[in-house]
Amino acid sequence: MTITTTSTKKYKILDPETGALDPRIYSDETIYREEMEKVFGRSWLLIGHESLVPNPGDFFHTYMGEEPVILTRDRQGGLNAMLNVCRHRGARLTRTDDGNCASFMCVYHGWTYGLDGALEYVPGEEQAYDNKLDKTKLGLRRARVETYAGLIFATWAPDAPSLEDFLGDARWYLDTEYKRRPAGFIAYGPQKWIQPVNWKTSVDNCSDWYHVPTTHSSASNALARVMGATRYTHEWNWTVPAKHAFVNGHQIAVFETTGHEAPAEEVERLGEFRANNVAASASSIFPNTVLGMRLAIPRGPLQTEFWHFALVPADATEEEKRVLRMEHASQNGAAGTFEADDIDNWRQVSNSGATFIGAQQEQLLNMGLGNAGPHDVYPGMVTDRFVSEHNQRAFYLRYQEFMNAGSWADISLEPQTAVYEGTTAEM
Amino acid sequence: MTLFSEEQRESVQTAFLDPQSLWNDLNHFYIREAWLLDDRRFREWFALFTEDMMYFMPRRKNVPVREAHREIPPIGTDLPYYEDDRKLMEVRLQRLESGMGWAEEPPSRTRHLVGNLVIETVGEDEVVAKTGFICYRSQLEVDQSIYAGSRTDVLRREDSEWRIAHRTIVLDANVILDKNISIFF
Repeated sequence: MTITTTSTKKYKILDPETGALDPRIYSDETIYREEMEKVFGRSWLLIGHESLVPNPGDFFHTYMGEEPVILTRDRQGGLNAMLNVCRHRGARLTRTDDGNCASFMCVYHGWTYGLDGALEYVPGEEQAYDNKLDKTKLGLRRARVETYAGLIFATWAPDAPSLEDFLGDARWYLDTEYKRRPAGFIAYGPQKWIQPVNWKTSVDNCSDWYHVPTTHSSASNALARVMGATRYTHEWNWTVPAKHAFVNGHQIAVFETTGHEAPAEEVERLGEFRANNVAASASSIFPNTVLGMRLAIPRGPLQTEFWHFALVPADATEEEKRVLRMEHASQNGAAGTFEADDIDNWRQVSNSGATFIGAQQEQLLNMGLGNAGPHDVYPGMVTDRFVSEHNQRAFYLRYQEFMNAGSWADISLEPQTAVYEGTTAEM
Repeated sequence: MTLFSEEQRESVQTAFLDPQSLWNDLNHFYIREAWLLDDRRFREWFALFTEDMMYFMPRRKNVPVREAHREIPPIGTDLPYYEDDRKLMEVRLQRLESGMGWAEEPPSRTRHLVGNLVIETVGEDEVVAKTGFICYRSQLEVDQSIYAGSRTDVLRREDSEWRIAHRTIVLDANVILDKNISIFF
């Protein structure tokens, strides 16, 4: 059986010359259905972190787009991502969020699968099936799994490039966050909650510092007054020494920490330049990893389940961990003072093309047009403008490329030019 | 049904001559607190907490019955929904007072029904009290959500008043079905 492409429609959703965006991409049911195939059915997707499944037998229940997936650590220490759908009648094999087990038994009829998804036992194999069931062909549907710095990604697409090629030069930046500390990270969480938004709005917002002084003024001002935090004003935005880099639809905000003297072990790990000068901040990894280790999981055109993890350095002191946890819970996440103020904005953006007249009004993503390009030192497409809509354009053009592609053969990968210094150069 | 086990009754009686008076006292405290929240008198509500307060709302996981001990990750082991000390709660209040805390502009209409009070332990100047609650939230035009859960409080006697030193809120939910948690419990 082959499920063929649902549509051969060629989308033109963003005009790169004018920044005009078709608002129907958020609310249209047909487009959403096609995204499930062409974006979530083929892209690499973040599904978890190694610290969630440290021991053999550990599992963590996750999602690839709408698909329920079991992430396991098998007896050999390998990682497996398998569709949580029984090959018999399609019931789920586990209904728990995480745990440790030797096998997964479907509670409908008792078909039992191993940690690698192999079908191990079927009740009545002889008496009911006359020994005619080929169990070797009835394992759980497996996804390809690869990791980067403890982050676990998976894809359904056999023709997808390696994760290394998929991340491309974005890794040069992401290393400065995910590989800086030698002990790696522990993932706490996730918080889970449902937002009445289209999943794309939170991704494109991830690099949008233009909204911060307005949307988040109350949280920023209060944090500045009470905790002495940076006050995110427009003036701060215009003058902060920072860049944005764009690679393969991924985005990284980069703070230039020139003059900073990183500890020797960080210099050893990242090389002098990156350790001292480059600090990756808010990043989005195409398609739905938002602002660090957070997922925007599609639940329909106008509904998204958010998963908010907190990555805490494994070698942090208890006090450092406490501060990081409290920061995460109080600023972002379901009860976050910053995030709470985003949701209604994103919802309204998501709904803007759902009405007859509204659908005729394009959204305007033209800020900073023409101000991004190659850079001598920083890989990828780079802009010195901390406030611009380059990421929105880069993200939606990448999205359009996925939506118009027949297969991975039609999806471009930017050439990798970054030079990696330090002991963490390997993927 | 009695409100105290025999053992508890004894300990309550040691600290307070009349356990029923203590129960009445706390019940009155919780009713007043609920009205402060629903009437949006957040500063007065905040004043009910001690200086060293902790306002904690853990996650609640789906785990098998036999692994029930893993259902609610304890403080310090996980990312909760709330882990606020006095300073972080002050940030939340200043935000609401700014006129620019958009999640609550215009503000939610809430109704907290708090009940099922039991007093779990009684110390010299502290009691541990547990309540159940249903909270209805309505906002903007048609948004509405219902939260149900329990609260376990360490209440401390300060200047002849009860103060909340440590509150643990456990929601009866796994994935939260609300756009944001910009209200209090």
